[in-house]
Amino acid sequence: MKAWERIVIGASMVIFVALLALVYTLGALGYRVPPSTPRDLAMVYLTMTFNPSNPLFSAMAPEAVTAIVWDYRGLDTLFETAVFFLAIIASVALMRGVSLPEKPPSSAEGMSLIVKTVTKLTIGMILAVAASIAFHGHLTPGGGFQGGATAAVAPLVALVVFSVYFLERSGVTKNRMLGLRSAGLLGIGLTAFLVLIGSLLSGGTAFVFQNQPKPAAPIGLPWRIDGALTGGTLFLFNVFEALAVSAGFTIVFLLLAVPEEEAIKVVRGGEDGH
Amino acid sequence: MGRLARAVGPGLLAFATYIVFSGSVHPLDLLAALLVGATVGLITANLVVREPRKLLQLERLGWLVAYAIHYFFVDEVRAHLDVMRRIVHPAMPINPGIVRVPYTTESDYATTAVANSITNTPGTVVVDIDPEKRIFYVHWIDVKALEPEETRRRISLTFERFAKRVFD
Repeated sequence: MKAWERIVIGASMVIFVALLALVYTLGALGYRVPPSTPRDLAMVYLTMTFNPSNPLFSAMAPEAVTAIVWDYRGLDTLFETAVFFLAIIASVALMRGVSLPEKPPSSAEGMSLIVKTVTKLTIGMILAVAASIAFHGHLTPGGGFQGGATAAVAPLVALVVFSVYFLERSGVTKNRMLGLRSAGLLGIGLTAFLVLIGSLLSGGTAFVFQNQPKPAAPIGLPWRIDGALTGGTLFLFNVFEALAVSAGFTIVFLLLAVPEEEAIKVVRGGEDGH
Repeated sequence: MGRLARAVGPGLLAFATYIVFSGSVHPLDLLAALLVGATVGLITANLVVREPRKLLQLERLGWLVAYAIHYFFVDEVRAHLDVMRRIVHPAMPINPGIVRVPYTTESDYATTAVANSITNTPGTVVVDIDPEKRIFYVHWIDVKALEPEETRRRISLTFERFAKRVFD
């Protein structure tokens, strides 16, 4: 590292600490960090997310983060999901026509026998843990995205340990994953309208993205079955989101595993006028 | 039928993992675990299991329990004491090196069990495997022998006897 780099880094650290101290002294962050009592907005969600005595304003799920993400600001999450899947669609479009070379290179035999044997067993366990994270998203930290990301570790590990040709042979292909991903997105879309559809069929009214009964729309999904909390639509959102996210990540992993020269050859083809 | 029978083992593993990770045995969770177990079992059946009959041979389970008890209470304790002595000894008496250890197990699971047993005991680590020559390359904290049969006798013979009865 050059001398002037050290000086710039050191000076910026000093300036950062001095500014932070100034802001803190002036009381811009409050005089207690973190504050001794939750803020008003936090109190609203802490008392509302699971509140059987006030069902019209409650999401009826004790996990406040999931309740906010898929109920209070559900529409926002829908568009977030859309952004994520547009990014995946964009990568699929960018790599259109790109596929693995027919003949695997001689190095495509994965890692040692021991690693392969252990991985065989852990792949199923990864998927089971992922399912638990997704299915309990309305009860414990986690949810659809986290569960889906965990599930995507299974194909990623298989790709490294067994090679990408193994995944292709086992039927984990780009097109199948696109199908699964679309099924998940379709599920999310249907769940958003589920209560509304039920309400229209029974002659009432309801909101898009409604979960529990609201004023003027007294209909909702059951929030408990046999004493176990279900979170109404939250559970369905988490399941479909996990499906869509795991398939989406798998598509990207599969695309990234294509050798660069192969991908460049296809992507460049049109540009050169071939 | 073949795939269905092979799905039982990995399905049970996924079922147990789901229940333990969730920490709940509510009927709804049991139902979810059953679905997850069936799905994961069917997906991974052909990858994980070749001969589903072995799951029904209970003497294998008995040997597995015996293996675990012997491994954790005899082999592990012996290896720990040995390495502890080397650590606290003022002269630090070590003579490290990598030796060839042949193995005679048939199935991948037996071979992996032996290799992991060697690695998990302090003082020995399997650094590589040559499946064609059927040899482990083992890093040994105190190389007492170089001849393949002698290293096998000192390092892995007990593990092999158990592992063969469980998996082969």
